[in-house]
Amino acid sequence: MRRRDLLRAAAASAALVLLPRDAEAAWARALGQPNAADPGAMPETTQGTAFSATQRATLLALADALIPRTDTPGANDVRVIDWIDVIMADYYSAEERTVLTTGLDAIEALAQQMSGRAFASLTGEPLTRVMTALDGATDRTTAAAKGYQRAKGLVVHGYFTSARVQREVLKTQIMPGRFVGDAPLRTTTGGSHHE
Amino acid sequence: MSEQTPRRVYDAIVVGSGISGGWAAKELTERGLHTIVLEAGGPVDFGGKDFVEHIQPYDMKFRGWGDRHALERDQPVQRQCYACDETGRKFFVNDHENPYTSPSDAPFKWFRGRQVGGRSIMWGRQVYRWSDLDFEANARDGHGTDWPIRYKDIAPWYSHVERFIGVTGAKEGLPQLPDGEFLPPMAMTVVERAARERILKAFGGERVMTIGRAAILTKNHNGRAACHYCGPCERGCVTHSYFNSIGSTLPAAERTGRLTLRPHSVVAEVLYDAKRGRARGVRVIDAQTKKEMVFEAKVVFLCASAIESVRLLLNSSSTRFPDGLANSSGTLGRYVMDHHYGSGAGGTMPGFLDQRTIGSRPNGIYVARFRNVTTPSKDFLRGYGMQGGSGRSGWGRGSGMPGFGAAFKQSLIDDLGPWSLSVGGWGETLPHPDNRITLDPEVKDAWGIPAARIDVRWRENELAMNKDIIASAVELMEAAGCTNVRPNRTMQPPGHCIHEMGGARMGKTAQDGVLNRWNQAWDVPNLFITDGAAMASSACQNPSITYMALTARAAAHAVAELKRRSL
Repeated sequence: MRRRDLLRAAAASAALVLLPRDAEAAWARALGQPNAADPGAMPETTQGTAFSATQRATLLALADALIPRTDTPGANDVRVIDWIDVIMADYYSAEERTVLTTGLDAIEALAQQMSGRAFASLTGEPLTRVMTALDGATDRTTAAAKGYQRAKGLVVHGYFTSARVQREVLKTQIMPGRFVGDAPLRTTTGGSHHE
Repeated sequence: MSEQTPRRVYDAIVVGSGISGGWAAKELTERGLHTIVLEAGGPVDFGGKDFVEHIQPYDMKFRGWGDRHALERDQPVQRQCYACDETGRKFFVNDHENPYTSPSDAPFKWFRGRQVGGRSIMWGRQVYRWSDLDFEANARDGHGTDWPIRYKDIAPWYSHVERFIGVTGAKEGLPQLPDGEFLPPMAMTVVERAARERILKAFGGERVMTIGRAAILTKNHNGRAACHYCGPCERGCVTHSYFNSIGSTLPAAERTGRLTLRPHSVVAEVLYDAKRGRARGVRVIDAQTKKEMVFEAKVVFLCASAIESVRLLLNSSSTRFPDGLANSSGTLGRYVMDHHYGSGAGGTMPGFLDQRTIGSRPNGIYVARFRNVTTPSKDFLRGYGMQGGSGRSGWGRGSGMPGFGAAFKQSLIDDLGPWSLSVGGWGETLPHPDNRITLDPEVKDAWGIPAARIDVRWRENELAMNKDIIASAVELMEAAGCTNVRPNRTMQPPGHCIHEMGGARMGKTAQDGVLNRWNQAWDVPNLFITDGAAMASSACQNPSITYMALTARAAAHAVAELKRRSL
């Protein structure tokens, strides 16, 4: 937990004003040891070990095609790839790693087949055609379809759980201080706390 | 055990520091007894490094997915509990140090926490009073033995507990689910309110969906702060807004000046003094040094959790009690229960798209038992309650949603997706003598204590009830106005609900059970067992508040008996 997040959360929370003394002391201690509370001693990424150069280029291009930069950051602006590297290195089984790597190979092969070019070099209409073929695939058992679904899940999760998107785009309130079950959709901000 | 083993003498020994142990410590010390609480696990630093409810996904290496390889290696059983996640796994035991066995055709899930505070740290916080429909159930249909108590015996103790811990809930006036002394209820979502009204209408008022009753503060209470709706209570709470023993009962005990809390104290045996016919104390193995020691007291309270307390008694055999301490009835280890759960239904609630929730409500909705209350079922005995909730999935729906590109992204940011609504059943389990805990003849834990062998099976009544749970959950979703209604047929194995109880049940006579109406062992008058082991039936309500009320009641009785010199 970062100190400034906690302070911001605390300031935003109506509940904190009402904290009894014991809780306040506990809170102060928590603030005093922010790193001790942090199991996410941030990822030691093992860059490059899991993907070939082509696979990495395909994945970066796929991430950008799924969640491009608009008036808000894109998937590569928040370095979704760094978290995917962590998942490849320390979370997935060998079999799951292979689903993704062979999937990326198959996506590259599909791009070559459909447009005669590398997936990572596609833009505009040719890119849309390949993405439409992947996203709308009726046969979900092909290597390309399985790799695409897995990559899409990783990109979406990695993007929306990133610090920048949580803070700047979703404006997630860590300590909302209240629960409202029928708020108007547009009057306030805040993403879902848990996915 | 060597004669040089250090001896320490107290008025009372409490084994375990969780939901029940904390209450025993509070009540015994406040009533004047110098009490030692022996906890097998280590201390928890609630204000510092251990309570991490505000950790955000980006501060976690796996962004909330959990350290899968470590979980698979160290906690293959514990990881199956939802709360044993990336940050919460430290509150669950290492399965290799703490083994148990079950038959290959009867898997049992035993989710355990060994630390000061026990499972009160990551419990589900739902609290529901039992009624006489529950206390009279065994007598009415002949399964199990009649409870020696009725609602009137426990009602004042429910109030005593509620006033201290703080319980949020809405009064409904239902005889089968008595109202308590509630703090203001949490809000239902707009979808839950609509569902409640439609269901009331569709079933003529027989099926009542209400907001969950939870041990969470909706206003400041007894020096603890109101909930700030951050969400994941099971990771701890620095403001002590939900009830656990380390933020409430143990500090109260501490304030009396009569509490000694000893962590890392694995109790291996209750020592029996055959001459006096009393428990003399307990034999303890220090979890860190593995040194043995003995603690003695006038009264011993076992609050180690149902299975642990039973295991401890089974491991405390003597010439007088060759089959386990206080087991002249032969019922010790038998009639073990859990709630069968997992099945239910969910659906999509059309409309309400211009509304959303703010804050993470650590509580759901509850459907009070309706089967065999007014309308009898021809298929099964007893009944079930239902729990559930509603929400909009937000960006979480993204990986399964068709689309890509700018419009896809914007939709995940702006639109929260449709409302979903779901409920699942929590079903009563009949007490059965062959649902049983014994000691495994071979497997021992890291301290050399024989492991529990647990053989608990869902039987005919549970299976029939489970079918009905699915059918009526579908009916409820349809009555609520949901579309795309999907039955969920996942009936979890025994233990998974973490409501394991029974094994040292109360009974009206010494032949019927291990304990009398005061949670006092018939055979050993200064021995009390006040955790889930004492339960003679399971009802369908979440049981923790009943353990708390029975513990407080038993402590008051024990102290009165001590004063009368009858222990």
